Amino acid sequence: MNRHIPMLYIAGITGIALSIGGCASPGERPDSDLQSAESALQQAVAADAREFEPVLLNNAQNKVADAKSLIEQEKYRDAERLLEQASVDAQLAGARSETAKAKHAVEEINSNIESLRKQIHQSQ
Amino acid sequence: MNKCNITLGIAVSMSVLVAGCATSQPDNAMVNEARASYAKIKDDPDVARSGDRQLRSARDELNRAESLLADGDDTVRIEHAAYLANRHAQIASEQAERAKLQAQIDSAEERRRELMLDQRSGEAEQARREADMLRKRMEELQAERTDRGMVLTLGDVLFDLNKADLKASGEKTIGRLAQFMREYEDRKVRVEGYTDSTGNDSYNQQLSERRALAVRDELVAQGVEGRRVEIQGYGEQFPVASNDTSTGRQQNRRVEIVISDKDGNIEAR
Repeated sequence: MNRHIPMLYIAGITGIALSIGGCASPGERPDSDLQSAESALQQAVAADAREFEPVLLNNAQNKVADAKSLIEQEKYRDAERLLEQASVDAQLAGARSETAKAKHAVEEINSNIESLRKQIHQSQ
Repeated sequence: MNKCNITLGIAVSMSVLVAGCATSQPDNAMVNEARASYAKIKDDPDVARSGDRQLRSARDELNRAESLLADGDDTVRIEHAAYLANRHAQIASEQAERAKLQAQIDSAEERRRELMLDQRSGEAEQARREADMLRKRMEELQAERTDRGMVLTLGDVLFDLNKADLKASGEKTIGRLAQFMREYEDRKVRVEGYTDSTGNDSYNQQLSERRALAVRDELVAQGVEGRRVEIQGYGEQFPVASNDTSTGRQQNRRVEIVISDKDGNIEAR
């Protein structure tokens, strides 16, 4: 009976090891993800996200920073996920900024048209 | 017995494995959210036009999340895919919105260009109409174009000999001028009185001034502001005809009304 307990124990350990291995293998260094996240950030900044979407932009920047330290710790899977998220966060920040700017432009041109219309109306 | 325990051990370890990787319920809030985001935009023609790449990524990530969820995979992986799907859907939606706004901007630009053209041709048309109208009004007043500008000459039919009171026919002429001045508020006039050479100079000077003043009073009486009417008496100076004949003298007994330009300037004599 005593012999069987270690067997069970070993099998259990093996299972745990398997489960850890299955869920958290280190994977490859996510260099290309880092690159695309950083370029997405640059594009967002170029689209004036600092002005229009500062919170989302910061989130994306923080995720990239966290991902970098995860890479140093060789936690590549986690880093990759963070970088993928940072990338879409930055893209969204940029897209929202573009929309906001387009909205301003619409308002501006409409008020421009309105004052032109008034001028024409007055001169007639 | 041995085999049995090993089997049991493997079963336990398998359950640990399953529990470790798939603690999630088949229902996941983030997947639900991603599903809703995708459903909202998948049939939007604007998204199809302007955000198709992001829409495709949203669909792919959502499918991944769904199948991970169905397989009972790790929550972190499911939610990561759901997160990406949701974001791609949001980006696609922003791109569509942006494209719609751009279309609005383009058509507004077009409208503005048309309006500016309208305005310019409207202004030209307006200026032409105004010039026409002014010419017509001047003609009605029988004003003549001279080097001093438009000059309206009122003969001595306005006044009786040696008198400075306007005759009724004179009032009517002044009425037309007053009407003109009410319409053209920027215009000023200088009323200049003249006499023939009969009588002495100082008498003629005074008579010419009184005649000019009488015209001014009549203009003011008809609603023209006094500050817009200068007066000047020239006595027998500047005759327009010979004082040797009676017709010549009659021509010299006159009031000339010089109309300013649109800025109110009057050329001095």
